[in-house]
Amino acid sequence: MQAALFLAIAIGFAPPDFERDVVPILAAKCLGCHNKNESSGDLNLQNNDSMKDLVPQPGPEKGELFRRIQNQEMPPKEKGKPLTEKEKQTLLSWIQTGASWPIGRKLGLYEKTTPTVGGLDWWSLQRLNSPVVPHFPGVSNPTDSFVRQSLSVQKLSPAPEADRRTLIRRLSYDILGLPPSFEEVNHFVADPGHDAYDRLVDKYLADPRFGERWARHWLDLIRYGDTNGYERDGDKAFAWKYRDYVIRSINADKPYDRFLIEQMAGDQLPDRTEETLIATGMLRVGTWDDEPNDKLEYSYDRLEDMVHVSTTAFMAMSVKCARCHDHKFDPITQEDYHKVAAAFWPGDLVGNSQTKVGGFDVLAWTDLPGKPKPLHLLKKGDPRRPGPEVFPGFVSMIPTLDATIPPKKEVQMRRLELAKKLAHPGNPLTARVAVNRIWQQHFGQGIVRTPDNFGFKGALPSHPELLDFLALEFIKGGWQAKPIHRMILTSATYKQSSIHPEEAAFSRIDSLNRFLWKANRHRIDAEALRDSLLVVGSGLDTTMFGPGITPTITSEALEGLSKKAGAWQPSPLEKQRRRSIYIHVRRSLINPLLGTFDFADTSRPCAQRDVTLVAPQALMLLNDGFVHAESKALGVRVSRMGTDAKTRIQGAWRLALGRDPTPREVSLGSDFLARMGDELGLEKLCHVLVNTNEFAYVD
Amino acid sequence: MNIPHLFPCGLNRREALWQMGGGFTGIALAAILEEQGFFRKHLGAAEPAIRASSPHFAPKARAVIHLMMNGAPSQVDTFDPKPLLEKYAGKPLPQDKKYINSGGRKVGFLTPAFRPFRPGGKSGIPISDYFPHVRSHADKLAVIRSCHTDSHAHGSALVAMNTGSVFIGRPSLGSWCVYGMGTACKNLPAYVVMMDKRGGPISGQPNFGSGFMPGQFQGTLFRPVGTPILNLKGPDNPFIQRTQLDLLAKLNEDHMALRPGGTDLAARAQSYELAYRMQTEAPEAVDFATESKQTLEMYGIGREPTNEFGRNCLIARRLVERGVRFIQLYSGGGHLDDTWDAHVSIEKNHGQHAREVDQPIAALLWDLERQGLLESTLVVWGGEFGRMPFSEGPGEPGRNHNPYGFSSWFAGAGIKGGTTYGATDDFGFEAIENKAHVHDLHATILHLLGFDHERLTYFHQGRDERLTDVYGHVLRGILN
Repeated sequence: MQAALFLAIAIGFAPPDFERDVVPILAAKCLGCHNKNESSGDLNLQNNDSMKDLVPQPGPEKGELFRRIQNQEMPPKEKGKPLTEKEKQTLLSWIQTGASWPIGRKLGLYEKTTPTVGGLDWWSLQRLNSPVVPHFPGVSNPTDSFVRQSLSVQKLSPAPEADRRTLIRRLSYDILGLPPSFEEVNHFVADPGHDAYDRLVDKYLADPRFGERWARHWLDLIRYGDTNGYERDGDKAFAWKYRDYVIRSINADKPYDRFLIEQMAGDQLPDRTEETLIATGMLRVGTWDDEPNDKLEYSYDRLEDMVHVSTTAFMAMSVKCARCHDHKFDPITQEDYHKVAAAFWPGDLVGNSQTKVGGFDVLAWTDLPGKPKPLHLLKKGDPRRPGPEVFPGFVSMIPTLDATIPPKKEVQMRRLELAKKLAHPGNPLTARVAVNRIWQQHFGQGIVRTPDNFGFKGALPSHPELLDFLALEFIKGGWQAKPIHRMILTSATYKQSSIHPEEAAFSRIDSLNRFLWKANRHRIDAEALRDSLLVVGSGLDTTMFGPGITPTITSEALEGLSKKAGAWQPSPLEKQRRRSIYIHVRRSLINPLLGTFDFADTSRPCAQRDVTLVAPQALMLLNDGFVHAESKALGVRVSRMGTDAKTRIQGAWRLALGRDPTPREVSLGSDFLARMGDELGLEKLCHVLVNTNEFAYVD
Repeated sequence: MNIPHLFPCGLNRREALWQMGGGFTGIALAAILEEQGFFRKHLGAAEPAIRASSPHFAPKARAVIHLMMNGAPSQVDTFDPKPLLEKYAGKPLPQDKKYINSGGRKVGFLTPAFRPFRPGGKSGIPISDYFPHVRSHADKLAVIRSCHTDSHAHGSALVAMNTGSVFIGRPSLGSWCVYGMGTACKNLPAYVVMMDKRGGPISGQPNFGSGFMPGQFQGTLFRPVGTPILNLKGPDNPFIQRTQLDLLAKLNEDHMALRPGGTDLAARAQSYELAYRMQTEAPEAVDFATESKQTLEMYGIGREPTNEFGRNCLIARRLVERGVRFIQLYSGGGHLDDTWDAHVSIEKNHGQHAREVDQPIAALLWDLERQGLLESTLVVWGGEFGRMPFSEGPGEPGRNHNPYGFSSWFAGAGIKGGTTYGATDDFGFEAIENKAHVHDLHATILHLLGFDHERLTYFHQGRDERLTDVYGHVLRGILN
């Protein structure tokens, strides 16, 4: 009865178009359970093999497919959303008109994004789109145009420009990771030139300390450490050369595509040098268990580490999740994983303590000569259940680059080929991911707020057009980062105050400042904190490069080590005042000061550090020996500036906070010195200043 | 496109709070701010601060004490009697028993227990003469004789027992417990680890790290004497620090006055007052002035060789009383005979280590029971793996590593005392009946805390991570 009624209605319409109307419904509501891997009820809807039985001719409405859909049995309630009325009618109408299915048409599992799985139409996999830069009167920086556009949609407006004192401190920490001196601040504040700020940006970007700051962000991402971890936690000889390579590359503004290729396959470049060999250290600076339980399995685990670090760092996709099964959320098949892995596969990845490569003392990666061993797809990831051999290639989610790398190539050439695909301008992820990381460090949050995941479970971009604009500019500019930094840093968006006159009202609309109506105040990170203490205290040793240093740590902190005696050999005191990036990263015991302030996890790629705020941090800054020593050194510096309390208070504020104290602060400081006694008081006053929120935060 | 996203429109206030620090003292900070009406005042919101994830069902345990026998005790010499070893003594392990010879050491012959077993309590659970005091509590114990793990090497097996994975970098069991339960005390860390004075576990920090969870979930090292936490000791003259903190508070107030809505700034300012209180309250937790002489004697405090572990056990009870959630005590530290790693001589090695811990552990069980705490406290005993039933060379009295079968025991909250669970083969070589993998131990611990191990998840890089990965089942046979 119902069917007859429906038929009467449906006859008046054109039959549904398979591609336009039917495929999206099958993909979204049916394929999840009826596919080649999981064919619930023995039904695979990726092809029409079962249609004959399900849709009898004549009388398609008597068939099971029609009945099940009409009775709303499919999809079952517990498996997600039922069909909407419109979807139901479309499918029924399609069945009644013969369930036409183009010959040979196979539906891809990931063809369309569904409520549970990202498909090939996922935003981050689409080619970069050159957006029209919106026009706003008086706005010349394209960055600002895109930000202004979304602000106006949200009925928000930007904050006024921050004052110069705030700007130089923000810029200095952001670009150099260090505080500006009182003199530098005053010089900038007094600079009458209207281009004073732009000149400052150029000066900082040209400063070698820029590389020391920004290399650390990269080292987080490629899980850098100077030791192997595990029982012996042995030293990785020459790992530091890789760290220096990153600093040098950033300072030289080495094109990012070249930077990528060197790290992935610097051993096989035609113009291979010691430097490009060092670059491949990226593949070796992770953890390494020299006593694995199961050597065969560990070989594949090491392989996964290589796939994971490269696909996370360069593409922000969790390809490694497809090692044992097709990816649950992103269009990455198990075969895709193995195609990428095959490019790395030399056959055995267990032994790995070589420190001579190509005649150089380096921690580098290169394959053994000869024909590469085949890599087999492993069923459920089990090394003892090999499936078919998989040849090197690229992930199929970027179809234009999905071609098998010719099998005749040498082992090493496979990695180079893979690197070229990663760095190919037609790979929409690489540039998007790279500029997002730049944005993230400048603003505290990326345009995509999950910088390690551009897939289905990641966040959507807050400003998609801006992201594409920056990515295209990046590629057009020869993959050089400094022009992108410059564009961002000179934008009005970056220069905003962190306080907005409409703070309360705007917070209700966008409490997390996703649309950038003000600057984000943030706490300086672990390295900036330690380096700042040295700058204001005993003085920072600005020596660049070389083997890592080991600061003295309290014996209390050594208790977590299995070998205490002789386990911690501090560097000579005069060498300990170097920047934190030069601290030897020992996996079994991270420097307690850095660890307490949220240093990156060194066992896997870390795209964004946690920011925790806990009492042990206060305890560290109140009671740690290093903080005391630097406070004391600051006190000594201040005491040389004069003998009367007022001069000393002024000096303490200038050195610690880069500004003169307010009259109230002078009075508070005088009271404090009077209560403490001059000599002890000065040191304790300095200690208070390095504990202030002002010292720890950047506006 | 319908996108069921984690952050559909950015973080909400709850998530912002979480980022500020949802675990150790971070929760406390949020609670302090809440108490003072901070959020109502500054954010105009009424949502309560995060204190803990909601349990999935009524928890049996509110705290866990993990007695970690670092180095791996021998099961056939302690909790898993194998009379057949007497019969087969001097013969090799049958050929069909496959194993990895850890460290490529000499392989000797099947060797019976070095000390006799005797029944304990009404249940009559056999426990060897290495643990006569613990034996008197046999009716409180559920002995799991079928444990097995994934590695024969200390470094990765310790990490596996502590984190579920042989690879370093995952959050430890204690982190997951605190992540689930939150903290019940403001002035102490929720997750405390006490090392053996001979050293820490092989692989170090990752054994009590928080992996991909924020740092506030990591274990805090606690020392048994003086100032228990790193950097806890303030200046000898407390007046100095108080004066400093008063000035600091004023400077921070002025700074905040110009920065309305600065919850992060307020929280950081508050963290100094919390730190200040910790300086006095944490040492109090390790100060035994209020403990009776009998109690100290019972734990073996003030005498060798029980003094150190006895102190740690008594501190564990005091920490449980103060609301600490997860306390891990190490017996053995460093390498070889400084731990339970009895390659050379079971009798010499286990004789010493068991003597150090037997009486203190028995005292702890008795004391917890006396204070009414045992019913809400789970006590877990065990090593990272077990030892082989054969010796290291003919006539040699030591045993090599064995991940295929070993014993642990659970006692206290929700545990069916006086039971044994699972079994190894006739030789005590490998678990064969009701096998209990490390994941199963973990799943059971979370279960007793009120959490389904399959549902207690932490979202990391696109995946809902679990302590038990995709494995684990609850050992129902040991539950009440």
